[in-house]
Amino acid sequence: MIKNIQEWLLLLGIYGGVVLIGNWIGYDVMPVGAVPGMLILIGICLIGLILGKVMPGDIPSVAYVAIIGVLFSMPWIPGSDLVVSFTNEVNLLAITTPILAYAGIAIGRSWTDFVKLGWRSIVVAMCVMVGTFLGSALIAEVILRMQGII
Amino acid sequence: MKQQLTNIWKDWRLHAIVLGIVLVTEMVGTHSFTVGPGVILLLPMLYAILIGLGLFFTPLVKDKQSKNAEPLIVLGVTLLIAKIGVIIGPALPEIIAAGPALLLQEFGNLATILVALPVAVTLGLKRESIGMTHSVAREPNVGLIMDKYGFSSPEGRGVMAIYIFGTVFGAVFMGLISGFLATWTPLDPLSFAMASGIGSGSMMAAASGSLVAAFPAMEQQILAFAGASNLLSLSTGLYMSIFIGLPLTEKLYDVMTRRKKTEAKREVKEGA
Repeated sequence: MIKNIQEWLLLLGIYGGVVLIGNWIGYDVMPVGAVPGMLILIGICLIGLILGKVMPGDIPSVAYVAIIGVLFSMPWIPGSDLVVSFTNEVNLLAITTPILAYAGIAIGRSWTDFVKLGWRSIVVAMCVMVGTFLGSALIAEVILRMQGII
Repeated sequence: MKQQLTNIWKDWRLHAIVLGIVLVTEMVGTHSFTVGPGVILLLPMLYAILIGLGLFFTPLVKDKQSKNAEPLIVLGVTLLIAKIGVIIGPALPEIIAAGPALLLQEFGNLATILVALPVAVTLGLKRESIGMTHSVAREPNVGLIMDKYGFSSPEGRGVMAIYIFGTVFGAVFMGLISGFLATWTPLDPLSFAMASGIGSGSMMAAASGSLVAAFPAMEQQILAFAGASNLLSLSTGLYMSIFIGLPLTEKLYDVMTRRKKTEAKREVKEGA
């Protein structure tokens, strides 16, 4: 357990550093100003990862991470405005760039499988994605209009 | 997290490569160009995945780096979910107000069956098409199909094909089409924000990231709705497939192939 926490902390620290540098170059936020927000996010991750390990049931840690993130930033919780303003300094897109860089390196190993897919599979795969995206957007549009939200 | 993380932090070569990719892509920044009535957005994260994939084929990335990168995606998504959590929190009153739309748009994921199954059958795919089109084929759905039909079944091959495509090109594809569709169609960006949550962290990030780049004024709302929808898809997606998606795909497949067979018979008779 201690070993796990140590590994998580080190890896999240590396992630955090890379994100802060991307956040600086791409979104003009000085790293010093974004450090508190990053520390809060890493803290939320750590609590969620530990809960996922020690709590009974097969609930994935990301579920705990999401719930804790929402709890800390709900308007009814004292101090939530601080959590929100600090974490606002860390851009979402600055977090996704390193994730997808790691993903690119990892999926290289699936490339041989990918090349073996026929053109028909690729056409169907694109239809699958466009289908779910447009289907959901259409339903959301109808309901949001009925409710008068948009 | 199921994988054992052991000393991956020591893989400095991997982290240095990723830092290099981030530096280059963030310096290049976001670019967009118009195609007909829509806009195609090129975001740093899209270059990042392509550069990462390209580097895999150079001596810079060894097999060890590629293996170590895999659990790091999961950990990175954890950080992303924490960020989405603190975006959802302050928007909670708004999200509750939009609750009905959020819940019902989950049924839109079934549209993939109506769109993709006829295409698959027309292209001449057999029972593979059931595995391919019953859902967007992320991990829980792959598990469901393997459990029900077996790994080497045609359905299993079908679901793996879509899973592989989604893994390799899902984020890039979603990032490109979401910005394009949101600028080209009259639908509201918030509707597309909800649609971005299809149960995959990286696809959600790419799709909603493109929306934010196209409609920067609505950033917080777009990210909150996309994040909430993605969490909802993650928690309901499997049950949606078990109880509605898969049975519906089976039924439609039977109807479509039966009609095809009778048509073929009639043609044979008329020909004779």
